[in-house]
This record gives sequence, C-alpha cells and structure tokens, in this order.
Amino acid sequence: MNPKLAALVFSWVGLAGLAYAHNPICDCYDNGDNTITCEGGFSDGGTAVGVPMRVLDGAGKVLIEGVMSDRSDFTFTKPEVDYRVEFEGGEGHIVQIDGRDIEE
Amino acid sequence: MNPRPASVWRAFLLFGALVTFCADAHFQLLYTPEAAVQESQQLPLALVFSHPFNNGHTMDMGEPEEFYVVSQRGSEAERRTTDLLQYLEPVTWAGVDTRASAFIAHPPRSVTRSLGDYTYVLRPSPYYEAQEDKYIQQITKTVVNIGGLPGSWDAPVGLPVEIIPLDKPYANWVGGVFRAVVTANGQPVPHAEVEIEFLNHEPQIEQRRFHPEGKVIAPQGSFITLSIRADAQGQIVIGLPKAGWWGICALDLDEGLQHQGKELSVDAVLWIKATEMTP
Repeated sequence: MNPKLAALVFSWVGLAGLAYAHNPICDCYDNGDNTITCEGGFSDGGTAVGVPMRVLDGAGKVLIEGVMSDRSDFTFTKPEVDYRVEFEGGEGHIVQIDGRDIEE
Repeated sequence: MNPRPASVWRAFLLFGALVTFCADAHFQLLYTPEAAVQESQQLPLALVFSHPFNNGHTMDMGEPEEFYVVSQRGSEAERRTTDLLQYLEPVTWAGVDTRASAFIAHPPRSVTRSLGDYTYVLRPSPYYEAQEDKYIQQITKTVVNIGGLPGSWDAPVGLPVEIIPLDKPYANWVGGVFRAVVTANGQPVPHAEVEIEFLNHEPQIEQRRFHPEGKVIAPQGSFITLSIRADAQGQIVIGLPKAGWWGICALDLDEGLQHQGKELSVDAVLWIKATEMTP
C-alpha cells in the first residue's frame, strides 16, 4: 500500500473508536516552485478553515506552524530536511502525511 | 409439412434482429474507470453513444455542444467550472459489430488537482434516429470524487433536464439502492419514464473499444434495459445488484422541441457506480 494511503487509513482506523462522526481529510501536493500546498476538510463536506497545521522534522521538532486559510488550504516553503505534515482537526482528528509521499 | 421457403426464414431472422435491436436503449456514455479515487490523478474519459448492456450498435457522435466539469472541495466551498472541449480527441470506437465516431479526453492532472467532487457534464449534438425519425440529445452527468471529501454531488448543475442525486453517485455498495429526482427546467417530473442499463462491457479507452466479454447474461430481453417510472414526486429508487457502472436515463423530458424540422427528444442521463464489499 502506498505509505500515504496507509497513513490515512491508519488515521481513520484510529478514529473508529471515538465519538466523532466525521473523518478528517487532508492531502498535499508539490507546486513545483519549492512550495507545498495542503488541502483539508471533513468527510461530511465540512470546512477546515482555521484548522492548525504543523510541519515537523524527523525528530518531531516543529519547523512551520500555521492554520488552514479561508479556502481550507495551507501553503508553506518546502523544508530542506525530511519532514511530515500534520493536520490537527481536533482530538483524535490528526492526519499525518510524510513529505516523501508528496508529489507534484 | 412443407419446409418454409428461405425468404420466410430470412424475414423471421430479420424480425428477431430488430426485436433485439429495439430491446435495448441508447445511452450516452461519459466514462472514466473509477468513480471514487484516493488521491489526485489524471482521469481519462470516453464519450461514446452506444447500447451499453450488450455491446450493441454504436452510433456516430457529432461535435459535442458542451463538455465541462464542475468541481467543489467541501460543501461550503465555491464551485468551479472548467471547460474541457479543448481536450476532446475524435476517435473511432469499436463495438461488437460496429464502428462509430466517438471522443476520448485526457485532461491534465491540474484539472483534478484538488480534493472534492467533480461533476462531468456532456451536452452532445443531437443524434438523428432514423427508426423514429427524430433527434435525440442525451445531456449526461458523471460524478467523480477525489480523496473522500464531498462537494456538490447533490446540487443541480442547472441543466434544462437533469437527474439530481439523493445518494452519492460514487459511493454505493453492491446490494444497496440509489435514489434521485428527475427534473426538467428545475422542477421534478412526476412519473417520468426512466431506463436503466448496466455497463456490461467495460470500455477500454486506450484500445478505443468495449471489452468483448460481457460480465453478465440477460435471461430475457426485459433485463437488458430496465424500464421504470418515477413516483409522483419525480423520485426514483434503483437497486444495485452488481459492481460496476449503471446508466440511468430519463426520457423525453422537454416536450415540443424541434431540431432541423424534426422532433427533438431531450433526455437526462446520470452514471453511478456500485462497488463490491471486499475484505
């Protein structure tokens, strides 16, 4: 299985035991200009506006922090080190995406 | 008993062939292999006018009048319309015993870059049906989702005739039902005549043909095209017994229209996909 898909599936499975009705969804792509854009939302179509976003290195150090825009997206400069992106849609609503799985 | 003259047998066989031809329905295909994809990718499309259950007579398509996609990422986001006419590539498409003009398209990945719902819309040019001495125009929708984030799958596009889904067209388990409302000029059409066909021969876009082998065999002609009526509110409910694409066509919704001096039947087509539950 594609590692990114595995991460998403893991995220959903992890949520199965919680009371939340709607699953968090996040996907990122490389803009080809040294920036990355992530889009997010929830499985009921709900907006991700204001959802905290974090970019962390391999040791878990936060490199970049921000929030989803009013278009439910978040663009950041691509780190020069290995990284992962976290979409933090509330307790138990975290989606993690490995930077190595982000493609143009 | 005297043997029947050859001419009688020929007439009998011709009658049988005509019955076979009439037992299935014209369907405008707006096909892409998957209705629900995990992540952004380029989606190939095939636009073919055919008889999808039995890989029957495939008909020539003229230049489409409109071909576009309406996309929406999330239920509160803005809808975006992207014209796709520039990506059409005319091809000759092979049915089991016919070849006809059709179109394929490979819009770039940038068109389907975002998460959300993508409603593809095709307004083909009217097709002259000589048997009925009238023109047919099937305005067709196919809804694809990327990444599981829904958008505007249940919203009217605003077409003159349209089947409005009440269930997601791309998220249906085999054994479930699909519901929709048939509309004309934005209003439900009570007791609309509706035909349903299973896409029995999977299109093979790169080979420009239908797969020669069908997935199922109809036990009798009535099962090739399923004919139903909408209820008094224009709503339809359809069972989905088999995985794959199902075409729904509401017939002759805009009465009294003419094209080149002939009657024009304007139909609404919606394609939905059923998926098997697998471990």
